[in-house]
Amino acid sequence: MAAKLKTFVAAACASALALCAAAAMAHHSAAQFDFGQRVTIEGTVKEFNVTNPHTWATVELTDDKRGTRDAQYEGHSASHFYRAGYTRDMVKVGDKIAILIAPRRDGEDGGFIQAFTVNGKTVGFGGLSPETGKRTDSASE
Amino acid sequence: MSKALIVTVGAVLSAAAISVEAQQPDFTGVYEGYRAPQGQGQGRAGGPGAGRAALPLTEEGKRRVAEYGVLSGPTRLNGATFCASYGVPAMMGLPGSYPIEFIQKPDQLTIIFEVNNETRRIYIGDRQLPAEQRLPSRTGYSAGHWEGNTLVVKTTDLLDGLDQGANAYSEQATIDERFSFEDVNGTKVLSYQATITDPIYYTEPIRFERRYQPYEGFVIPYACADELWYELLELRREQLKAGKPVEAHMSDVYKVREERE
Repeated sequence: MAAKLKTFVAAACASALALCAAAAMAHHSAAQFDFGQRVTIEGTVKEFNVTNPHTWATVELTDDKRGTRDAQYEGHSASHFYRAGYTRDMVKVGDKIAILIAPRRDGEDGGFIQAFTVNGKTVGFGGLSPETGKRTDSASE
Repeated sequence: MSKALIVTVGAVLSAAAISVEAQQPDFTGVYEGYRAPQGQGQGRAGGPGAGRAALPLTEEGKRRVAEYGVLSGPTRLNGATFCASYGVPAMMGLPGSYPIEFIQKPDQLTIIFEVNNETRRIYIGDRQLPAEQRLPSRTGYSAGHWEGNTLVVKTTDLLDGLDQGANAYSEQATIDERFSFEDVNGTKVLSYQATITDPIYYTEPIRFERRYQPYEGFVIPYACADELWYELLELRREQLKAGKPVEAHMSDVYKVREERE
């Protein structure tokens, strides 16, 4: 699932880099996230709040290094989520989720959501048309 | 003057008035930022982030820009994070690539940016609010008139726009704006030009330009401050469920948000 997710977002953002960056910058002080990096995390959804001015999610992660703990992720606004193809109740508490993130610069858990896959559906943020689901032709000015 | 002549003159004047009105464009519609076809550049002459270094700042302007840099801190604090409106002309730059809606009537052009449902009204023609009754705001007071096919607008009565990105201005700023349709690469594009004149910040006027193209999608309701209210109710609900005194305050909502950051 992780490899597929990365490919999807690379395609979505490649031709709309400015949009990806601009959307991220609009409401957020991006300083704490490294948008030059992409990391995929997988875990179980504990909270997923698609809200304005930005979305936030809590995901339970488990790995050998740090054990089981909750990590928090920020994301685009509710408007951007719905335009990117998110639908109401797509993500529920208890769902297994894979999230492609721009990680925190300090190396701690957490990051900015670039795309996610849940229940076989993937949503990415790269200027996708809400009507056609296709990516737009070029970067926004 | 005969009654017939008066009727005739009246009819001619009415026809002339209709004719003048008919040639003025109707900007009504939903737009997004203009996207130049691939390989043709962005078609942008200026805009947010167009280059602060090149701005003709006065000494006081430099001081205020530096001060805002300190106020916003290393995390570049952003008013939109706290549901503050963008103001003019920042909202016209479509920060975050959200769509914008224009609704035109003969005496008013209403512009609604999706984020925070931020709304500005441009009053066209003779019906204007007296200067002393205008409440300063981040969108200011806008008076417009037609010059041919161009809507020419003067925006005044602004609040201090120290946080307006590359277009910071003081409460003494005046923004002259022009709206017109133009044909760009075969696409009907709405062209927007703003010139900011501000004796506090700039030694000469600075320009801000933007182009918009029709957007086929819908404008999505953008609740932002509403979320704070819901979060406050949720905190109080948790207290109620826990049998504790129901006394959460908005400061507690912000505390939760800050811990999340």
